[in-house]
Amino acid sequence: MTLSGYEAVFFWIFGLAAIFAGLLTVMARNAVHSALFLISSLVSVAALFVLARAEFIAGVQILVYVGGVMVLFLFVIMLVNVGAQERGREEIFNNQRQVAASLIFCLLLVGGVLYAVNRGYSGLQALNPRPEGTVGQQSIRDQSHPPSATGSSRITEDAENVGASLYRYASLPFEIASVLLLVAIIGSVMLARTLRQEASADDVAPEVLQDEIATDPTLPQISAD
Amino acid sequence: MQKYIWLVPLLPLIGAAINGLLGRKLRFSERLIGGIAVGSVALSFLISVAAVYSYGFGGHPEWPKPYLTSQDGFSFNWIPGGAVSINQGAEARTQIELQKQVEERLATMAPEERGRFQSILVSDSPRFALLNIEWSYQLDPLSSIFMLIVTGVGLCIFVFATGYMHGEAGFYRFFAYMGLFMFAMLVLVMGSNFLMMFVGWEGVGLCSYLLIGYYFDRQEAANASRKAFITNRIGDFGFVLAIFGIIATFGSAQYTDVFEQAKAYPIELLGQWGILSWIALGLFVGACGKSAQLPLHVWLPDAMAGPTPVSALIHAATMVTAGLYMVTRTNVIFQHSQTMLLVVALVGAATAIFAATIGITQNDIKKVLAYSTVSQLGFMFMACGVGAFVIGIFHVMTHAFFKALMFLGAGSVIHGMHHEQDMRRMGGLKKYMPYTYWTFMAGWLAICGIIPFSGFWSKDEILWNAASTSQIPLGWLVWLIGTIAATCTAFYMTRLMAMTFWGRERFLEAPAGGEADEAHAAAYDKGLTQHDAVSPAAGDRPRHEPGEHVGPVHEDVAHHVATHGHAHEAHGAHEHGAHIPHESPPSMWVPLAVLALLAVIGGFVGIGPAFRTVTGSEHPGGRMNIVTWLNPVIWNPTTREFNAAEGGHGEETSHAAPAADAAHATPAEADHGTGASVYGHTGFNLAHSVENATHSELATEWIFIIISLVAAGIGMLLGGLFYVWRPQLPAIWAQRLRPLYAASYNKYWVDEFYGWAVTRRTMDAARAVYRFDAGIVDGIVNGLAALSRLFSRITGNFDKYFVDGIVNTVAAFIMRLMSPLFRAAQTGFTANYALVMVLGLMVAVAIFFARDIFSAFR
Amino acid sequence: MPAFFNIIFLLQEVETTRFDQMRQAAANPDLSKFLVIGALLFIIGVAGVLTRRNIIVIFMSIELILNAANLNFIAFSRYLHETGSVNALAGQLFAVFVIVVAAAEAAIGLGIVIALYRNKETIWVDEIDLLKW
Repeated sequence: MTLSGYEAVFFWIFGLAAIFAGLLTVMARNAVHSALFLISSLVSVAALFVLARAEFIAGVQILVYVGGVMVLFLFVIMLVNVGAQERGREEIFNNQRQVAASLIFCLLLVGGVLYAVNRGYSGLQALNPRPEGTVGQQSIRDQSHPPSATGSSRITEDAENVGASLYRYASLPFEIASVLLLVAIIGSVMLARTLRQEASADDVAPEVLQDEIATDPTLPQISAD
Repeated sequence: MQKYIWLVPLLPLIGAAINGLLGRKLRFSERLIGGIAVGSVALSFLISVAAVYSYGFGGHPEWPKPYLTSQDGFSFNWIPGGAVSINQGAEARTQIELQKQVEERLATMAPEERGRFQSILVSDSPRFALLNIEWSYQLDPLSSIFMLIVTGVGLCIFVFATGYMHGEAGFYRFFAYMGLFMFAMLVLVMGSNFLMMFVGWEGVGLCSYLLIGYYFDRQEAANASRKAFITNRIGDFGFVLAIFGIIATFGSAQYTDVFEQAKAYPIELLGQWGILSWIALGLFVGACGKSAQLPLHVWLPDAMAGPTPVSALIHAATMVTAGLYMVTRTNVIFQHSQTMLLVVALVGAATAIFAATIGITQNDIKKVLAYSTVSQLGFMFMACGVGAFVIGIFHVMTHAFFKALMFLGAGSVIHGMHHEQDMRRMGGLKKYMPYTYWTFMAGWLAICGIIPFSGFWSKDEILWNAASTSQIPLGWLVWLIGTIAATCTAFYMTRLMAMTFWGRERFLEAPAGGEADEAHAAAYDKGLTQHDAVSPAAGDRPRHEPGEHVGPVHEDVAHHVATHGHAHEAHGAHEHGAHIPHESPPSMWVPLAVLALLAVIGGFVGIGPAFRTVTGSEHPGGRMNIVTWLNPVIWNPTTREFNAAEGGHGEETSHAAPAADAAHATPAEADHGTGASVYGHTGFNLAHSVENATHSELATEWIFIIISLVAAGIGMLLGGLFYVWRPQLPAIWAQRLRPLYAASYNKYWVDEFYGWAVTRRTMDAARAVYRFDAGIVDGIVNGLAALSRLFSRITGNFDKYFVDGIVNTVAAFIMRLMSPLFRAAQTGFTANYALVMVLGLMVAVAIFFARDIFSAFR
Repeated sequence: MPAFFNIIFLLQEVETTRFDQMRQAAANPDLSKFLVIGALLFIIGVAGVLTRRNIIVIFMSIELILNAANLNFIAFSRYLHETGSVNALAGQLFAVFVIVVAAAEAAIGLGIVIALYRNKETIWVDEIDLLKW
């Protein structure tokens, strides 16, 4: 796989954007800013997916991550960070020793991984000397796809292929994933609800509830009623 | 329509599943439970009727060939074949291939050459590799009759039960079991192979167990259910052996395959014990268990501890006739064994007379009916034993009508009498329960064998076939016993009528001492206080002391409270003793009326050949006639084929066929003058002797009809004499025939004998084994244990003081040395742990690429 | 003169060759570039997890890590696709499942955050040492 022309330009734009947005995510003082940078990082990665001809995954990335998960993050930030203004001056990083050790380790990892990537890729090329698809072949292949309704782009078979192989080779994991999501839904509902909500759902015995209220001093709003 | 017969067993199962699984959780109302149960059975019944109609009368091209649902694609490979080929692999498979090739070769050979080779091939053909059992339902004349009986009579009983079980806490449970029973019974009669029959067989056994033990908190019911289950196990053992024998002999369990092959086997005459005789013996042992024949009959009377609809459905109309179904289904095998035919006939006759004599002296209305059922089952086996399988099934059908009717009538009486079952405390109910009385009257006339009623046609045919049989010797003895048993039947049934419906209204004054009280079970269910001095913990139902006076009549029904001799204010909502009986609700008497109608007219499908001058034909009605209908499933030993569909010469029927044509004549026919048939000479034949005397077949038949009618009349007149006109007679005669009376009253002490011979011996053996176990085995084990405890104490001390001492010293040293370090490492902060994880990752990367990294620095 | 030119030309040639190579590599990014970006995103995510105090930001860093993994999957999928492998789509399938797991993880994790905040009144990880004991 070798990108060329405008694709290469966009690759570098989005790749660097992803890295910088990621860095800013980690370094931003305000959690909301972090979230927004993370969104831009994710969008950039989605663009990289498009460049790697994985349009379907790119769409899923945008829909699920940016549309779903990040909104969830923002909600939670708003729920939790009520006192963010007061704490604005607080330290955002852990204590210095931890940070220093972490950064050292990470730099070492960067070196190791980058080295490993280059070595590994050259080894891979040696292992697989088959010529990769040239630009011309790619464009010919892309042109053979039918045009979309607006005529401005071509419809690829990516989503079709992913769907077909999802059901053909990975139907069991697919089902398991659905169960996982169900469990996650139920679990998050169970985790996030208050004692009051539990009481109103009527699956806590009233005596237990009374005991709880009586013994737990951190529940003033419940002991009130 | 036949395509949908797989729904017939399925629907009751679905109904049962809904009721049983959800009924309690969702607190279904009785109306809903009853609706689901009755609706599912009614739907099954409609499908059955439609399927049978289109099969038999809808111009179905295959009639009378069995229709298998697998023909239309409904089947699945229940027990897939090739188990052998998996185990023994290619060898068996090549052998099959080889055999196929050889068979192809054989087809081209000359016949005489072929014969020489074939005998070799048959002997070592690997048939087991092909055993392939599918789950498919079979619709043929026999199964269609049973389908209609089971679903039709079952429907009546379900409707009845919605009224009878009203107010029971276990309402949902009852209907779940009943639905499950319907499913199992339908699988039994509709299956297309022996294994499906076995599944249904065990299924009905299980449901019978569950339903007998429906009032499981009563010791009596629990014991009865266990007794039924264990007794049936003995029979099932024989049945299983027979199935093994069938599979081993024929290499298949499919009815069509088995019977097609069995046709070719030689007939085993009296005293010859070939494989088919052994198979038939096993099958008959199974039938004895399920159908309560003589050695194994003991469970059926006790089974009356279940609710009355159960008695009607399972222990009178359907399940107990499963043995008949099986014997008739395998009539090819039975007819191959003259010995087993004789055994079947004699056992049936013995059971008939045995149970009939017991029935005379019983006082519990359900017990009388139970012994009557046993007796009637004996009649059916008698018919099978003398070769008249069709008539046996005919009697199954009429018996299902009138006995279900009588059981339901008894249920209605029990209901009306507020759960009183002792006939000595009934009487004169005619006035109070007119519907029940008149419907019961129909059942009474039918079972006694009065001429236009259904019981007459079948019972008379049985006796005639017994007298005229040429398949077994001793037919005259069977006939004689049967006639006496029929007389006894008429007698005790008249007694039952008289004690229940006629005469004085004894429930107004009768002393207590009843036999059974479902009311107490109901009280348990409702959690009410028990009356009398029996603690509920004992689990026994309360009893009145014999002779205890129940109480005076309370004219005011509105607030009568039964007052016993002792205090029982806490008697609660259920009372008994002096009661004014009431007629049952429509949900109970409407099924009674339907069954009564069937009991009256049900016999017309089998009008005997003796009436050919009246009806114009031996078997009037075409396929509506049961003989014509069932003949195709009956094997003809003379022609060695199944009977032709419409030919009309079953062996017991073809009196008009020309005797000269020996090849097409039935055994009875061939035997008629010459006394020779495929079964050889069978000795004295009553019918033939009479015929020789009268020189007229028709007259002979009429003589036997008149004899059986007279027998019934004598029985009824005696019953009337004893229990209507001269009520003092029974006591006098009981005194005069004291030993006989005692024997009959105590059911010939069979239970006691079994208790002594089997139960006590088993318990003794168990105790002996227990003593051996407790004394010797446990002693050895305990001794060893003591030894090892001693040893372990020594090693334990060594471990505690020596090894632990060393370890503790070292540990203390290490603890002092290292604990600050470890304590510092456990900060409890997630980030620190994650940092360690990253460190580990780094180390992993370093190790993984170690060689590359080193080479880079070199 | 020719020699001088030769030298310049030679120098030029050497320099332009190196520069050309780099330019060539930059103009035609291949698999390794994807992997490098993925690795960098991963490291950034790891660093975020290790250094930040805000538990929500830590979760975001975890999302970054997962995204880096996804990028690798997609890149390899693309690479295998072009070498003609039959398993080329496995990478994309994996990416789908990773996204699913990430969504589930986010839902549960944020639920835990809320429960934690409700009980401990904090979302700073260095104030939470429940793992001790």
